[in-house]
Amino acid sequence: MSKPLAILENVATGYFSEVVLKNVNLEIFPNDFIGVIGPNGGGKTTMIKVLLGILPLFKGKVTFPQGKPNMGYLPQISQIDKSFPITVRDLVGSGLKTEQSWFPHLSGRQKNQVNQMLDEAGLIRLASKPIGELSGGQTQKAFLCRALINQPQLLILDEPNTFVDKGFEQELYRWLKELNKKMAILLVSHDIGTISPMVKTIACVNGTLHYHPSNQLTEDLLKVYNCPVDIIAHGPVPHRVLKDH
Amino acid sequence: MSEVFSILEYAFFRNALAAALLTSLLAAMVGTYIVSRKIVFITGGITHASFGGIGMAYFLGLNPLLGAAVFAVLSATGIEWISQKGKVREDSAIAILWSLGMALGIIFVFMTPGYTPNLMSFLFGSILSVGKAELYFLLAFFVLTLAFFIIFIRPIVYTAFDPEFARIMGIPVAFFRYTMSVIIALSIVISIRTVGIILVLSLFTIPQITAMLFTRDFAKIIPLAALWGTLGSLAGLFFSYFFNIPSGAAIIFFLTLQFLIIKGFVMARDFFRRDERVLG
Repeated sequence: MSKPLAILENVATGYFSEVVLKNVNLEIFPNDFIGVIGPNGGGKTTMIKVLLGILPLFKGKVTFPQGKPNMGYLPQISQIDKSFPITVRDLVGSGLKTEQSWFPHLSGRQKNQVNQMLDEAGLIRLASKPIGELSGGQTQKAFLCRALINQPQLLILDEPNTFVDKGFEQELYRWLKELNKKMAILLVSHDIGTISPMVKTIACVNGTLHYHPSNQLTEDLLKVYNCPVDIIAHGPVPHRVLKDH
Repeated sequence: MSEVFSILEYAFFRNALAAALLTSLLAAMVGTYIVSRKIVFITGGITHASFGGIGMAYFLGLNPLLGAAVFAVLSATGIEWISQKGKVREDSAIAILWSLGMALGIIFVFMTPGYTPNLMSFLFGSILSVGKAELYFLLAFFVLTLAFFIIFIRPIVYTAFDPEFARIMGIPVAFFRYTMSVIIALSIVISIRTVGIILVLSLFTIPQITAMLFTRDFAKIIPLAALWGTLGSLAGLFFSYFFNIPSGAAIIFFLTLQFLIIKGFVMARDFFRRDERVLG
């Protein structure tokens, strides 16, 4: 087995004096596809921020055995001001590190990179449009392009299946499956039903983290993990079993 | 028409024209940041807080615009600090700042013994009395701000749009947010000369919303806002001279009129285009 990309050891973190997460242990390997579930306010997004290095640790440590990996990040779209005057092209370009250090404009090569990315995602036609004119699915795609433009080794997605229709959700999952061949994926969702069939393993986050080395979870296990989430699987008829059916 | 040219022979009017032009160009850049980040109300708070500085400077016998600058910078960086820490209901805090600044200004001015300064000129502007020294100062500040925007346009936009992602990308977010706060504060204080405390906010917003009728791209809003801002300001300035009304009020009136006319054209255009699509 190859070395992990990232290791969280006994991590405790939070905001100001408030502890949101404690005793978090997690190893992320290069081809992992981890679904992170848990109730709202349970600390899912907080855990992501620890990985991204934008929240201080109260305790424990985060290490990167292979050196700090390139990380792509898709934040919750609800946190974004969609009326901000920025075009799709500029949005995706903002995911690139600038090559010239003091004159921070994109190089010609980087502009091509952005166009290529938009072409792959089927957004090239919308490149000059402001993000406010996109549909929910197109917005998610544009932000996913921003996360992918740096060719990350670890892709972190926070609730990518909100504000999108079912058709786009299927497309997204096909895309992620393809991407997973090249990179590790950590996908946060409050909705285990939709993500369970596609992820390889599941982590429950509710104040702390329970790692479950498979994508099948039973109601009993969720209780043990103290992870009260909606486990009604989505399908033609809602059903409450997540094991093979 | 010859009358229009004849007033250009007066040095005070040429100074006023230059001041209106430079202020419009400065406001085009800074205002685009303000409107995009939706911090118009915050900017209003900073503007009115600066009146406290004007009053205090009068009381202490200092340059009133220096007092305004100190108050404006402190309140702007203070608000930025509060908003980065989060957890505070920003709008209430700003409302307090807004009225406290005005209250302090009035108290200090009334406590100043003897001569009562011309408060009207700070509230409504006095562009026709702008001197050479002030003009050079305005020019210098405009050039610095322009250079900052040209060099750092990408980080300025990214830190305004999605500061968290910008931080992940390694951009020094705090530096850009605080620097922009200081630029906002100083731009406002400098523009008080042109249109006054009460009206200054519109100089930083009306040209932008006019520009946003045509584009939703940050970098393209700036030159368009500069165009509309300059046109409206110059029209207002000439109008104020010939009809003998306060220049600040005339400028804001023309900026708004211009916005309404253009908005009307755009709406009519969209209406007929829709008709063409549906019927043709």
